[in-house]
Amino acid sequence: MTARKRGTWLLGLVALAAGISMMVAAYGVAATRSHAAPQQTQKFGTLHAVLDTVDFLDPQQAYTGQAWWAMWNVYETLLTYKHVDGPAGYQLVPGLAQSLPKISSNGRVYKFTLRKGLKYSNGKKLLASDFKWAIKRGFLATGQGVGFYTDIAGAEAYSKHPTKGGNISGIITNNKKRTITIKLSKPRGDFLTILALIFAAPVPANTSTAILNGTIPASGPYRITGYDPNRGFTMVRNRYFKPTKYIPRGNPDKVDVALIGDANAATQRVISGQADYSNAAIPPDRIATAKSKGQLVLRQTANTYYFWMNIREAPFNKLKVRQAVNYALNRGTMQKIVWGGLGQPTQNVLPPTYPSYQRLTTYSYNLNKAKQLITQAGAKGAKVTVWARQVTDSVDAATYYTAQLNAIGLDAKLNTLPRATYYSTIGNVATHAQTGWARWLEDYPHPLDWFDVLLNGNRITDTDNNNYSWYTNKKTNAEIENLKKSQVLTPAVNARWAKVEKEIMAQAPWAPWSNRVFPEYFSKKMGCIHVQRLYGIDLARLCKK
Amino acid sequence: MAEPATDLTLDSASLLAAEEHEVAIVGRSPWYLAWRRLRRNWVALVSLGVFLVICVACALAPVYAKHLAHTGPNTVHAGDTVIVSGKPTPVIGGGSHYDAKTNTFVVAAPSYLGPTWWHAGGRFVLGTDNLGRDVAVRLLYGGRNSLKVGIGSALLCTLVAVLLALLAGYNGGWIDWVISRFFDLIWAFPVFLLAIALSTALAINGFHHFGISIEPGSLWIPTLVISYVLIPYIGRPLRGQILSLREKEFIEAAIGQGAGPLRVMFSDVLPNIVSTVLVFFTLIIATNILTEAGLSFLGAGVRPPDPSWGNMIASGEDQIQTAPWLALIPGIAIVLTVLSLNLFGDGLRDALDPRAKVRIEH
Repeated sequence: MTARKRGTWLLGLVALAAGISMMVAAYGVAATRSHAAPQQTQKFGTLHAVLDTVDFLDPQQAYTGQAWWAMWNVYETLLTYKHVDGPAGYQLVPGLAQSLPKISSNGRVYKFTLRKGLKYSNGKKLLASDFKWAIKRGFLATGQGVGFYTDIAGAEAYSKHPTKGGNISGIITNNKKRTITIKLSKPRGDFLTILALIFAAPVPANTSTAILNGTIPASGPYRITGYDPNRGFTMVRNRYFKPTKYIPRGNPDKVDVALIGDANAATQRVISGQADYSNAAIPPDRIATAKSKGQLVLRQTANTYYFWMNIREAPFNKLKVRQAVNYALNRGTMQKIVWGGLGQPTQNVLPPTYPSYQRLTTYSYNLNKAKQLITQAGAKGAKVTVWARQVTDSVDAATYYTAQLNAIGLDAKLNTLPRATYYSTIGNVATHAQTGWARWLEDYPHPLDWFDVLLNGNRITDTDNNNYSWYTNKKTNAEIENLKKSQVLTPAVNARWAKVEKEIMAQAPWAPWSNRVFPEYFSKKMGCIHVQRLYGIDLARLCKK
Repeated sequence: MAEPATDLTLDSASLLAAEEHEVAIVGRSPWYLAWRRLRRNWVALVSLGVFLVICVACALAPVYAKHLAHTGPNTVHAGDTVIVSGKPTPVIGGGSHYDAKTNTFVVAAPSYLGPTWWHAGGRFVLGTDNLGRDVAVRLLYGGRNSLKVGIGSALLCTLVAVLLALLAGYNGGWIDWVISRFFDLIWAFPVFLLAIALSTALAINGFHHFGISIEPGSLWIPTLVISYVLIPYIGRPLRGQILSLREKEFIEAAIGQGAGPLRVMFSDVLPNIVSTVLVFFTLIIATNILTEAGLSFLGAGVRPPDPSWGNMIASGEDQIQTAPWLALIPGIAIVLTVLSLNLFGDGLRDALDPRAKVRIEH
């Protein structure tokens, strides 16, 4: 072999080795990619879903968990939540915004820049000014969530006389630079989570203030078609949507949603293979059958079911009576009789999903102690009206509660109200409601959504009051106001919230009794079932087997 | 020769004579003749007997609850254990539970104590519901409430309908026009829709007007609502009957003799429609019991925790697979009561006026 021939042969060998190496590398990259982006390979045709009900499919009006599940996939907000399971699902990430905002040192100014090339499902550009219109639209249409945005400078004044041409001075937008600056009248530690609420999803400028169910152009991975309040609606892909690191495309090409109020019928749809998924409550006596014939996922959402005691009204103006009521509840038994055991007993205001949560165990079931406290308070035979909503779980819980009040020596009777008028009636000072059933499901993951809304005496109003106990305490009110200024939930801040909770529960304005878990029910055809803690089933990670 | 009876309920004069051993025919009041016909209709009499037994049983509910079942209709026994045939049995067993070790829920259906059929010393004879309440006690108390509402609303409804029909049918003119339009107005609404709307409106603050005070949750609310929505169903046919009666000679004769309108209405017209009213009254009780059950099932009738057969069915619906007795038992009670009333009502109609075609039409 000549030297030249040997050189050519070596060169060829090197080239071959390089070629093989490149192929291997390319294969490795491809393999890595397919692992990193499973949604690209797990697309499927149609997801047949069943929801029990939705209130509205309008981002400024929707205010139920079921509607928010759909809205989360249709309308984007400046900030949103990670598509992951477990506590990490509470982490805020950029949505329509390029990045998390710059916040001024005094916690009052938030600066956002929108991502480039944002478009609605009708092909029109999504502008910075659309955010301002969305907030104004909420006020103009008396949307259910407008109360969250009154701390924006000028919003309080605007809310009194909202007009299309009016201005909220605290929202400054620049469409060319794609910037949104929000100024608050006072610092608010939960403001980022408030901006992530669906209520703040931008909609095209001058969108009608009438309720538009599913007809407002979408900005998320899907758009809604064919909404019929008696039948359901369909979500199809929004072809103008561009996925980001935090907002992936959904896996199903289409989601057919049937609205079925009857829990038995909804469950049966999945069992018989007519539906892939149902989030309707499963009747306790069908839960074992449902489990054997499909896939049951129990979703732990942030909720607390409780009985409130109006501290302004006798006999609950006495601490001993309120404590007695807390001792009188066998919380374990209540889980069983109200929802067949699918709940955890609690004595806390906050649900266990919160980092501020520290389990309270002050009021263990003790009927004799409860009776003694009632005697000591001189409340034996006191007449009490227990209020409840005309919904099965509310009536069942309140029936047990009424029986226990009678067992400890009070003279209690139950009064039930239609669900539509319940909260406005008990939240009206003129009703003088003594005690009753209530529940709170988080709007956003922050202790302020609980303590500020439900137990801050400074926020008591004569009508539509959420503080059904009319609880007020100078010390805890002041601490809640101070904690509003904390921008980040550090361990120290969480510890302060836990202390607030302990102080409040020492005064026993509530008798909390359950953190309920909700069944999400899938057919056996479904795989990769992932639950986002706030919004539920994650379409971006769902697949079929 | 006595002619054969051609109809179970018709008595010919000769047949009566034959029955009375060829004794001369004596004058019999229409009521006596009706009773004769009724007592030969054993279906109607058995039905009346069943209805009376149900009424008596329901009336004795407090006695049963206190001395046999040793519990009240709303007393919760969720955590109790009861001795059934010598074995301790939990009132509510099974159910899902949270396992702290694995941080998961163990899913299982709850089980409720079924009928003990007197094997538990009179306790929970018909089992318990999801709150551990005694179904037999609730059935009897529920029956009391259903019957109170059914009979009470039938009385009110019939009374008002008769008065309005008398006024409209006898006077005619603008009075008839106004009352007829009032009937038309109520008739235009579907019964349940109107009843739900009224019940919901009254459920919040009750009724406190014209010196009348009814608290929310009172049995008077479903009673008044049901009696109101069913007024035209009696009033309209009665008005028609009175309109034709008014043209009869005996009415003209009474007027000609100087009788005033009130006297004619109550002394001449009313006695001639009493048989129809009685039949209507019987049949409307059954209709009202059904309406009450329907309203309570929908949450607009008797308010929980007070039992009624309707709301017992509603609350038993969720346990239909594991505890079917919860919905079946009150359902059977409704069927028995309504069927017995309807059969008795039909018998009464045949006895009072075999040619009449009285029925409640919706």
